[in-house]
Amino acid sequence: MIEFSGVNKWFGALHVLCDIDLAVTRGEVVVVCGPSGSGKSTLIRCVNGLEPYQKGRLMVDGIHVGQEPRRMRELRMEVGFVFQSFNLYPHKTALENVTLAPIHVRGMSRVAAAERGRALLERVGLGDRMGSYPHQLSGGQQQRVAIARALCMQPKVMLFDEPTSALDPEMVKEVLDVIISLAGEGMTMMVVTHEMGFARSVADRVVFMDQGSIIETATPESFFTNPQSERGRDFLGKVLQH
Amino acid sequence: MLLTHLERVLNYWPMLLRGVGTTVGISLASLLIGVALGFAFGIIRTGSNRWLSRALGLYIDIFRGTPFLVQLFMVFFILPSFGLELSAFTAGVVAMSNMAACFIGEIVASGIRAVPAGQTEAAMATGMSRAQQLRLVILPQAVRIVTPALVGQFVLLIKDSSVVSAIGLFDLTRSGWIIVQNVPNGLIVFGLVGLCYLVICYPLIFSARRMERRAQAPVL
Repeated sequence: MIEFSGVNKWFGALHVLCDIDLAVTRGEVVVVCGPSGSGKSTLIRCVNGLEPYQKGRLMVDGIHVGQEPRRMRELRMEVGFVFQSFNLYPHKTALENVTLAPIHVRGMSRVAAAERGRALLERVGLGDRMGSYPHQLSGGQQQRVAIARALCMQPKVMLFDEPTSALDPEMVKEVLDVIISLAGEGMTMMVVTHEMGFARSVADRVVFMDQGSIIETATPESFFTNPQSERGRDFLGKVLQH
Repeated sequence: MLLTHLERVLNYWPMLLRGVGTTVGISLASLLIGVALGFAFGIIRTGSNRWLSRALGLYIDIFRGTPFLVQLFMVFFILPSFGLELSAFTAGVVAMSNMAACFIGEIVASGIRAVPAGQTEAAMATGMSRAQQLRLVILPQAVRIVTPALVGQFVLLIKDSSVVSAIGLFDLTRSGWIIVQNVPNGLIVFGLVGLCYLVICYPLIFSARRMERRAQAPVL
């Protein structure tokens, strides 16, 4: 579904992605973790072309990302993206946020889009907030709307870029629960997160990055109990000690 | 003395009304064209084509940095020597719309830049085309941000329209010139002319102030 082969990216002189090789198969849940500045977010932002890369090959759902500009829209319709800072449209209600792209990009009728949008907002527990504007919602509620917005396009892949990092601690669970239920349905996902407990329970594989490189890839069980790399042990020691 | 002058000036009301008509007409026409063109300018200025954006930036700076009277003379007296003969009204509308578009273009561009990049990314990530991103996500937010500045620009445009009297257009200022030749009391005549401008502009000033107050509220 997603295949990185020798992908490299530079920000000026800074080498932010170094020879990335990674394949994510259909239905797999891959959690990407690592210290901040390690290139995790850049990695998943490449998948739907929000960031360009300079060298290597990245194939997503049969499309060569970056080489086929005309097919990027087609790709993005199939790849849902959830941002750390939600990025809901402030001038639209929750339901309008969810149905905007299905109506204008997929060409769905307003009635059908609204029906699907309502079902998704119900599903993320916001059945009573459909008419609310983003500023009237809590962070956790906004992020759940953002997830529903991505799902309403019926994507094949979902990407999450630190979906709970901007949330107050008591709202983290409501968002993670939605992601866990998606994993249970077999959605292909890449999740960048610092929530190690969540990573452990939901991931099929954990990818650990540092300084732009993938240091190790392992099952959550083996990564969390017995990391193979020095840097992995060091990182886990820092995030798990409290 | 003052009262008889006032009475005599008021006898010229059809002339004053004609002046108001021209001023409102030319302002409204330039405003509509200027807004349409200004949005196009703003979009190009913030677009991905850097050379087009720079070329337009230079063009805008030229018209923002020269007196409107000079621009008007260029359109009215110099274009004909290149074979483009315009009536005074058309020349006025062309010069005013162009200047309005330059100012409005920069205002719209600043509004587009003020919308957080995350909004464009979110719209892009759902597969929207650049045109859809602008129409559905960016411009509605940009317009809310710049509405007070835009309305302020509209007021300036109406007042700047007095310059078109210099090419012989019978606008509000011109009607004052004619009346004062018959009733030699500049205070009363131009006081009245000024009042007419104020009456035309005040609804805009008033609504701009209200919008500014609303813009300060947290509701976007």
